[in-house]
Amino acid sequence: MTEGKIMDKRVILEVKNLRKNFGPPAGGFTAIDNISFSLKEGEILGFLGPNGAGKSTTIYCILGLIVPDEGNIRIFGKDISKDRSEIFKEVNYASADFNLPWNLTIWENLLVYAKLYEVPEAKKRITELLQLFEMIDFRNTATRDLSTGLRARANLCKALLNKPRLLLLDEPMVSMDPDVVDKGINLLKQIQKEEKITILYTSHNMWEIEEIANNVIFLNHGKIVASGTPLELTQSVLKLEGDEPNLRDVFIHLSRSKYES
Amino acid sequence: MSQTLGMYSSTYQGVNMNLNRIFAIVLRHIFTTMHQLERFFDVIISPVLVLILWGFLSKYVQNIQSSQLASFLLGGMILWVIFEKVSTDIGVNFMFEIWDRNIINLLASPITFLEFLTGLLTISFIKIMIALTSMWLMAGIFYNFQITSLGFGLALLWINLFIFAISFGIFNISLILKYGHSIGPLTWILPFFVQPFAAVFYPISVLPPIFQKIAFFLPISHVFEGMRYTLKFGQFDYGSFWTAVLLNIIYMVASLIFFTLVFKKSLRSGRLVKLI
Repeated sequence: MTEGKIMDKRVILEVKNLRKNFGPPAGGFTAIDNISFSLKEGEILGFLGPNGAGKSTTIYCILGLIVPDEGNIRIFGKDISKDRSEIFKEVNYASADFNLPWNLTIWENLLVYAKLYEVPEAKKRITELLQLFEMIDFRNTATRDLSTGLRARANLCKALLNKPRLLLLDEPMVSMDPDVVDKGINLLKQIQKEEKITILYTSHNMWEIEEIANNVIFLNHGKIVASGTPLELTQSVLKLEGDEPNLRDVFIHLSRSKYES
Repeated sequence: MSQTLGMYSSTYQGVNMNLNRIFAIVLRHIFTTMHQLERFFDVIISPVLVLILWGFLSKYVQNIQSSQLASFLLGGMILWVIFEKVSTDIGVNFMFEIWDRNIINLLASPITFLEFLTGLLTISFIKIMIALTSMWLMAGIFYNFQITSLGFGLALLWINLFIFAISFGIFNISLILKYGHSIGPLTWILPFFVQPFAAVFYPISVLPPIFQKIAFFLPISHVFEGMRYTLKFGQFDYGSFWTAVLLNIIYMVASLIFFTLVFKKSLRSGRLVKLI
């Protein structure tokens, strides 16, 4: 029996007792302080926290680009430190901080990434995504000539190329206007529903998280300080009884609260 | 902890390479070359310009000295370009992923670092073959110098140069991983630190004794000594060849060990994700 079958079949991502310290053991900076969480199939988890809370470091650990000091990360029930290449055929990542190669056209960039992810019928899939994101007319435009919004859409096309089962989105729509964010969120929701993608989503825009996330984890000083649905968090943290989530106030409240271990 | 680190590292340095992913890296650089004129310049125009310059110098030397000395100069220059271009190209192509802010997207994909490196080496190999062909044609047509007069030995000299250039390229990438992208420009200057000791245009014997000792430990100085021997006596210099092979094995192993140590440290320190 494989490792994956022993585990709960529906658990897509499992992070256990993750700890990461940068700098010397004494006096260094603790970026992640013993966090554990899991994502089930089709779940969208909002990963919140102020700058420097440890969100990106956690994502880099999941991607295998930073080695944690302690803890274990399993994707699809497999240990990423052992089967990374195999696992990452079904995982993808996007962040507005990073671009696709500047001088290549969108079509060329997506073709390169389709090869990297061994996407079957690559040209068909690329056309499908470009149409979905209303980018087909820009397919021969160099990435450097695209607006910020179009670049973010191109990043999302790249992130969805391999029909990932797990998608890691690190502030994918930062610095975009509300209209573009709205369109992007609706498209993501539509694709997520059709392809049953599990998503870990970080953003500082609380509206985005309220719109897209089923559950939320709030990270501060590398620790999970609150978790639940957006509504549950609003009710428990702000002691409110309404039926409208208000993650913005939750965010401010938790960020300003003096952290106690 | 060390066990965890070892496992992560082996993930990147596994030997089961995927050709599709290597081809993706090659394809990315083919597209880059198509769109960026300076990359095209680097592949064909720059080696040809260097050849024209040295071709005229060789012709002048031929008139006042001997045709053999002219062959030494032109042959030395053609083989030097192979080393210089390959060793810098590997580092520059790596830097392209950093300049384009694409390195994290790339490393977040299923690619292993070894596949990424192999892709960079493959594109350098393709480029240097194009450069070598254009220089060979130019030298033959305009200066009546046939690099192929080195016979089968040319291939052996070429292999030794290429392997040393790869070791150098891997060393360059390790430096970028260790010290960050600001060290990048050093990667295309470093080969010129080697040049005085490499005996490209003159025999090792003209160097001061201390420089001769340094030159002895560089595989490319033996390659150029071997080239001159072959051009002078019409026979392949197996002594220089095997000395270069032995030194190349040592340099390759050393550069891979250095790269592995630096890469492991960059995964642990988080420097890999801070390259941009």
